[in-house]
Amino acid sequence: MPPKSRQAERRPARPVTITAVVDPVAALASENLDDNLYLYDTNRIAGSSGFGTPALHSRVRKGDTLLWNVIPLECETFVALADIEIDPRIAEPTRKVYPGTDIVFWTAEVKQDLTEPALYRLSFLLGTVGTPFTPNARPALAGAAGEGKERR
Amino acid sequence: MAQQHGIIVLFDVENALKERTLAGNTYWFDNMKLFGSAGVGTEKLVTIVPGTYFSDGSQATEQVLNWLPAALGAIPPTVPRNYLAEQERADDRRTLDELASLDAEGGVEEADVKRLQRRVGKRARPGTGRGLTEGKLLDVTGRTTGSAAAYNYPAPVITDITGQAVVEKIMYPAQYGSPDMIYDGWYWAATVDTSRPGVYPYTMHVQLHELVEQGGEMVWRSVDLTCESSLKIISDPKRNGFTGAGLGELPLPAVPAAG
Amino acid sequence: MSDRISIVVMVDAVGALSDRTLHNGNLSLVDDGPASRHQGTPDLVTVVSPGQIVQWTPIHVDVQTPVEIQAIEFLPAGAVPAPAGPDAAPGTAAPAAVPAPTVDATDSGGHENYDLLVWEGVVPYGMTPGVPYRYRLSVRLHEGPNAVLHVDSPALLRV
Repeated sequence: MPPKSRQAERRPARPVTITAVVDPVAALASENLDDNLYLYDTNRIAGSSGFGTPALHSRVRKGDTLLWNVIPLECETFVALADIEIDPRIAEPTRKVYPGTDIVFWTAEVKQDLTEPALYRLSFLLGTVGTPFTPNARPALAGAAGEGKERR
Repeated sequence: MAQQHGIIVLFDVENALKERTLAGNTYWFDNMKLFGSAGVGTEKLVTIVPGTYFSDGSQATEQVLNWLPAALGAIPPTVPRNYLAEQERADDRRTLDELASLDAEGGVEEADVKRLQRRVGKRARPGTGRGLTEGKLLDVTGRTTGSAAAYNYPAPVITDITGQAVVEKIMYPAQYGSPDMIYDGWYWAATVDTSRPGVYPYTMHVQLHELVEQGGEMVWRSVDLTCESSLKIISDPKRNGFTGAGLGELPLPAVPAAG
Repeated sequence: MSDRISIVVMVDAVGALSDRTLHNGNLSLVDDGPASRHQGTPDLVTVVSPGQIVQWTPIHVDVQTPVEIQAIEFLPAGAVPAPAGPDAAPGTAAPAAVPAPTVDATDSGGHENYDLLVWEGVVPYGMTPGVPYRYRLSVRLHEGPNAVLHVDSPALLRV
């Protein structure tokens, strides 16, 4: 019998992390970020959906801490999350860097339980291009009440 | 020039540890979608390996695979690998500075000591895992944490690559030490024999790590799991870009452009 | 005289795709000839002799990005001079290149794969000495509307 894991908590101590995997070279060559953006989060068991697409729906609750970060498919190519646009009544993401690096992540706290999925917009800096790229598809935060509507 | 294949394997570590399986908790990527890789971003990746050969039948292009494991919900792999050690040290320096200033002020408040205790964080001892040094716990934002439920998952470790593609000598995987030990350390790579087209599955052996309490101490426990992917080998003859066949004269104009 | 000259086409794919040009230091042409000029630039003039084999090899600065030569076309007289600035947009001021046979680069999986093409040829004896033969070098970086970039500035020269 393995020792008891210390992961069981009423509210997870870890943020709900939303990770964007980006193929920057393909996106630059094709000018199509939607086909080269794959979103995931750590809340699959709680009911998040749309994994591996740019329209991830993350299941969240009021009070959850959210964290967005990026993994580039070509490890030597620069990709950063430039902005997150979301209704400020739901969340107000702030840009941070891992201490001592220039690698960006964003965090926010979910301010209210959601009855409808709240669409938001991510934009990314790719390579050395100064203007951010924004996918057409939009991810969303969704509450437990939106469960029925979210099934695909 | 053919690019090297980068294969990223993203693990939902928390769920994989909870469920004790990588099934449903693994997402595979490569950078060869344009040449026909299928299932990029899913659990069912088939990596295309487009081989080429010369007219004498010899393999023309060396195809190289590199694997990079990453943990979902952890500090991303773009953050240098010595990051944890650096953060610990920076954190210790700050704490020592504050201790010194407390002493200089003459009085030590209990609240100050409590605050510094939190700052010092918790340490975990390596258990049966490989490659994990004794260290402080960092959370996913890179700050030290005293909470055993908030720690950043260590990067998953590939321990072996086996299966049909290896048994049939389609690829020759091995673990390499990078000369840049601090930032990259060890990585797995393989070269591919592209002379036998077909689809060849392989198994990746992965070690995850979880923090457990054992005899009143926090200990890293290793959890060994496997997941599968496959290579699709195709092979085509090289041809001359000017003639479409063999070597010929350069197609020069009768009179070249001025300039 | 060596019977073979090798021209290395080195591309910073991410830089070129970001800047949408092979200039700004994103393309470096280097050969192993003893008399060539403008080594390391897109304006390389490679000195050749009839009967020599010239070979172009694409190299990537970043090992995980694809860099391929899509075409090498020698520019005939009457062609519009090379644009002074960055690459002309496709379709603008494009000089008529020597119609080279279009070589099929489709692989057995049905995808375009320019890694299949070997870019080499023999310098013809009819080449006029003392006159640079400029060529359009088209480089393919991944796929999509921005993937192909070219320069008209490099040349072969028989002395």
